[in-house]
Amino acid sequence: MAEPAVPRSAAVPVTVLTGYLGAGKTTLLNRILTERHGRRYAVVINEFGELGVDNDLVVESDEEVFEMNNGCICCTVRGDLIRIVGGLMKRRDKFDGIIIETTGLANPAPVAQTFFVDEGVRQKTRLDAIVTVVDAKHLPERLEDSHEAADQIAFADVIVLNKTDLVSPEELEAVEERIRAINRFARIHRTERAALPIADVLDQSAFDLERVLAETPDFLTDDAHEHNDDVTSVSFELAQPIDPERFNAWISVLLAEKGQDLLRTKGILHYAGEDRRFAFQAVHMIADGAFIGPWKEGETRTSRLVFIGRNLNRPQLRRGFESCQAA
Amino acid sequence: MSASATADALLNTRGESRALDAFVVAAAFERGGRFCAFALGDGTLSLVDGLGQSEWRSVAAHEGAVLALAPDARAGAFVSGGDDGALRRTSSAGEVSEIARFGSRWVEQVACHAGAKGSGLIAASVGKAIHLFDEALVDKAGTQLKRFEHKSTVSGIAFDAKGKRIAASHYNGVSLWFVAAKDASPRELEWKGSHIGVALHPEGDAVVSAMQENALHGWRLSDGQHMRMSGYPAKAESLSFSRRGKWLASSGADAIILWPFFGGGPMGKAPLELAGGDGVLCTRVACHPGHDAVAGGFADGLVVLADIDSGRVLPVAAPGRGAVSALAWNADGTRLAFGTESGFAAIVDFARK
Repeated sequence: MAEPAVPRSAAVPVTVLTGYLGAGKTTLLNRILTERHGRRYAVVINEFGELGVDNDLVVESDEEVFEMNNGCICCTVRGDLIRIVGGLMKRRDKFDGIIIETTGLANPAPVAQTFFVDEGVRQKTRLDAIVTVVDAKHLPERLEDSHEAADQIAFADVIVLNKTDLVSPEELEAVEERIRAINRFARIHRTERAALPIADVLDQSAFDLERVLAETPDFLTDDAHEHNDDVTSVSFELAQPIDPERFNAWISVLLAEKGQDLLRTKGILHYAGEDRRFAFQAVHMIADGAFIGPWKEGETRTSRLVFIGRNLNRPQLRRGFESCQAA
Repeated sequence: MSASATADALLNTRGESRALDAFVVAAAFERGGRFCAFALGDGTLSLVDGLGQSEWRSVAAHEGAVLALAPDARAGAFVSGGDDGALRRTSSAGEVSEIARFGSRWVEQVACHAGAKGSGLIAASVGKAIHLFDEALVDKAGTQLKRFEHKSTVSGIAFDAKGKRIAASHYNGVSLWFVAAKDASPRELEWKGSHIGVALHPEGDAVVSAMQENALHGWRLSDGQHMRMSGYPAKAESLSFSRRGKWLASSGADAIILWPFFGGGPMGKAPLELAGGDGVLCTRVACHPGHDAVAGGFADGLVVLADIDSGRVLPVAAPGRGAVSALAWNADGTRLAFGTESGFAAIVDFARK
């Protein structure tokens, strides 16, 4: 495939806002838009809520999710976003970033996969972060009701735990624990009325794996996880260099077989004999990888891999990852 | 002389160009053959009088970006759609009038058909609907002729040569509507997946769509036979049938790709590849209206004219001015207009001197 037409720095940052109706998505969106940050955003919305959106450049769209004919049963993308990004690029000088608000019940996978699968979108934009707004009071019910609530948390890079004023400190602790159980790698911000510095939401470079993995706490102290339908997350480290061929062979089979359960996979890998770090990420079965900058001088070259999903068989995943070590 | 100066020989000796400072979305010549318009990402049309007056006039046609442009059904005017939800007509004198307004929805596709005795049709797609207007009535308000609804967003529209049918590409196939039919139900040409553009064979033999998965899909209209044309490294965003439909030219590879639509059609055959070899993606194609020749624009800014039978390639403009995003012939094939993503626009004269 051709090289990206624009350097990564020129790629438009895209922030995806997800969360159930009533969680405070639109409130957060309007806070972002009205704060004086000197930036202009193109906003893509899919439902006009009770609150209007206060912005010059608002694109109204129907979420059109379709399957790719590429043999992946779970590879779905947002056709409307492909068109909208293409259209917006014709007036690229009129905005600094794109914010996409999804509907309350949306599964975030198609949005995320769009940024992996469509070459035009990949070349011109970069997914900065998936921000999920959750309602501290109602989240436990939502998690019982539906898969989507857990999926939205699983996909999040940033979680805005909103309406904290409506729950007791104990309830708040409990709900944060539920979130951590699903996704230990997202940053959580507690808010009332979605009030937080927008620097906590925008320009996260959350898909910059280096930063995500560097900031991930207690990497080595995983809990043992039960095998059930709940979304959980696990991570592994390897000190030995990785054999790229073995890794590719293992991860392709793994994603093909378990891709529906694996919501997000991300890692920084130390390939044997390679001075640069290899960044790997996947949404369900759709994977992407590239060399990023070199290892720092004196830095321990440790390979790290994170899985967020359902039915994660921790020992099996560990054995698989360990089998990728270079001989 | 450097290689690029050589490649620019036609542009330098027979062309006229400007740096327009905005993404060139589309180019078109009006049916009178005199004026050319470039539609830009800043909402303006740049109108050029082709009779050597060298006047390039900027007209504010839309508030946002222009998304689509077509020669109006009547001579001396253009029709454009924008992300401001407006469908507008701009005369070659620069007068802008509104045909319809669709709220905050984008007007993404526009096509016009010129019929006999000044009659004509204007079609625009907005979301899942095609809105059809009668050329004779559009100066009066509220004169929409028809509205064709689809299950998903329309990604491409095309009239057939006689203006009797209009094809719309969308998710899972193409709908073919009879413009004059009383009962509004289309012929559905189905193929699973996302179709992102459509072209109709000039003699009505076939409909071809471009697909999200870097392939073309065609239907022979006589019997519904499917035609699959694959092997593209990128999406074939630009499709153009040669004048009598012998060839279908397409972008999406590092050459101009031409599929044979004679001798049984393209099934199981390899396409012709012209002007390839540089490893640069072809982004726009436009077949010559009078000869079996095709113009191609590339991602590095190169524009060429290729003779299909001999395979001879004539450079029109050298690389270096941005990815070609617009390419159009005038009706008699004497002039070629092209524009790039970085705002370069030019018209090259091919008429015998």
